[in-house]
Amino acid sequence: MTKIKLWRALIAMALAVAALAMAACGDDDDDDGGGNGGGGGGGQTEEAQQFPAGSTMAKLQDRGEITIGVKYDVPPFGFKNPQSGEIEGFDVDMGKLIAEELGVEPKFVEAISDNRIPFLQQGEVDLILSTMTINQERDMEIEFSEPYYIARGRILVPGDSDIKGIEDLAGKRVCTALGSTYEETLREEAPDADLKLVDTYSECLELLQNGAIDAISTDDVILTGMIIQDDTLKMVGDELTTEPYGAGIKEGDKEFQTFVSDTLEAAQADGRWDDTYQKWVGQYINKQAQPPEMTLQEALALG
Amino acid sequence: MTELWEVLSEHFPELSSGFWVTVRLVAISFVIAMVVGTAVAALRIAPLKPLNWVGAVFVEIFRNTPLLVLLFISFAGLRRAGVPIDAWVAGTASLGLYTAAYVAEALRSGVFAVGKGQIEASLSLGLDYPRTMRYIILPQAFRTVIPHLGSLTIAMIKNSAIVGVSLLALPDLLHQARLVNSRTFATNETFFWAAVGYLILTLIATVVVRRLEVRYAIHR
Repeated sequence: MTKIKLWRALIAMALAVAALAMAACGDDDDDDGGGNGGGGGGGQTEEAQQFPAGSTMAKLQDRGEITIGVKYDVPPFGFKNPQSGEIEGFDVDMGKLIAEELGVEPKFVEAISDNRIPFLQQGEVDLILSTMTINQERDMEIEFSEPYYIARGRILVPGDSDIKGIEDLAGKRVCTALGSTYEETLREEAPDADLKLVDTYSECLELLQNGAIDAISTDDVILTGMIIQDDTLKMVGDELTTEPYGAGIKEGDKEFQTFVSDTLEAAQADGRWDDTYQKWVGQYINKQAQPPEMTLQEALALG
Repeated sequence: MTELWEVLSEHFPELSSGFWVTVRLVAISFVIAMVVGTAVAALRIAPLKPLNWVGAVFVEIFRNTPLLVLLFISFAGLRRAGVPIDAWVAGTASLGLYTAAYVAEALRSGVFAVGKGQIEASLSLGLDYPRTMRYIILPQAFRTVIPHLGSLTIAMIKNSAIVGVSLLALPDLLHQARLVNSRTFATNETFFWAAVGYLILTLIATVVVRRLEVRYAIHR
């Protein structure tokens, strides 16, 4: 008798788990459908532009979808909203603008600093909008759009730290993302710092909070996102670097490069850029919105 | 083809320093895995139930947790709990204990292969339990499981790469290869050399195991 009861309980539990799993899947489908439907609807009300056959834009329109690589752990540029599970942020909104201009649905996938360029080269993503600084090394491998945001390099330390700037980093453990421009900047500007290179900035934050490192160095917007999460941290140092962010496009695809640049520039001209800036960055750091005036050529000349 | 050699010659210092970090990581973890694995195997077959349970709990915890998760818990988790554990300690302990769980199971199967009769015979001849293990059972068990321990060692060498991609940021071979790749974007060439590095280590392990097998194997 007890044996039968035990079996019944086990079967009931298995069924409950299965039902939960199915419900969870169902939710996901609903969310995707709802989100994409909204985005697609926006694009379809306006007449989508016509593009020459064979161009990337025409191919994306045929497919009805554009795959965009974004960060999932860099609030407020690309991150998963803990409540809704949706990917949100400044980069994500820029991606939605481009998808809208094409009249296709945006599909966001995670691109970390280390894999995003291979992703683009292998065609796993059509576009990268992942807080990527324009530089010459990367420009040899991919095409960049005109800069759509200018970030500044800073240093984040615990509130009671005596680090005041890059000159104090010698002998300190400093974290940044493997494959990021800061890896190189730190090697040049703070050669005696003990670099800890990890995959994601959330790992850097974990290491700073648990005391395994002394400082994090990266773009001020990423550091702002960390301060939003943990206000015991503080940003120090002068602006170490100027980091013009550009959208990444497959090497040689000049037509798509022009299209992406034009779309982003139109958004800067008509105020959509300012709204997005205010929504994700401005309200947290109390800084005036200023669409980048720097050109791609000037950005590349920086390094 | 030219690029393959270019990547090696230009980035040899980084890749070779990563190689030696991997060697150190693997060597320390190997010692931990063998010592702890043997102790846990002894616990699991000891003639005392509570000891069996302790051994079983150890095996199930470390065998059933993904290594990457173990690394996160041992480093970030312990530090959060106020234990200022060092990245090297967390890395070697995690890899060592993870492998130790498998080593313990391998040795246990080796002991069973020796057979109960020998234990009974040894005990009835007046040897106590620890001595029976030390002089009669474990030497035979080790010989039986040499090939199995060899496989586990090779798996451990490859698993050491997981330590390099974790938040420990130990500059091992894979970590260095990824650094080189992030600067050169020569993905295929860089990881080809990383693979060669791991192959050198696993082939050495294979040869050593083969020699031990020939020398100590029990022919039945």
